[in-house]
Amino acid sequence: MFLARVEKKIISSQKHDAYKGKIVFAVQPVSPDGTAKGNEWIAIDYVGAGIGDLVICGGAPGVAKNVFGLDLAPIRTLIIAIVDKINYHDIN
Amino acid sequence: MKLGLVVGVVWSTKKVREINWCRMYIVQPISTSGEEIDTPLVVADPKNLAACGDKVIYVTSTDASQAFESGFAPVNASIVELVDKIV
Repeated sequence: MFLARVEKKIISSQKHDAYKGKIVFAVQPVSPDGTAKGNEWIAIDYVGAGIGDLVICGGAPGVAKNVFGLDLAPIRTLIIAIVDKINYHDIN
Repeated sequence: MKLGLVVGVVWSTKKVREINWCRMYIVQPISTSGEEIDTPLVVADPKNLAACGDKVIYVTSTDASQAFESGFAPVNASIVELVDKIV
């Protein structure tokens, strides 16, 4: 899993059936102190995150299948948690 | 999943049976602000969502084979959404 900040929302009308009725966000992976690092990911929202939230994104093959109860789920990254607080001690 | 821009089509007559009917696009991964962030890759389009020049969302790794009706296809990238707007 990785920490990320929700950047933008993706609006789309033509999509795979597994994506119908789901909110799709573009998230920017961040390091624990908040600086952006790496390329953006697209993640499906599962916990009601909003734009600007710090979230945990993750997912393993087959997770979305039983999370959403679908028989075919081409979904890889899910927003699985909204972060309230991080205690981060920069060790180096 | 990743955001991409469809920049080309790959035509091939000899293909594996499971993806014989499926169209293959060349997709350039882009960020939401539009600049290119990676090298282009070939992405399958089982649901016939995209055309050249469209912004799409594609899923990679083993979940890509779930985008097919059979749930089994030797691909690791397939298009799942056609992007209308990014707000």
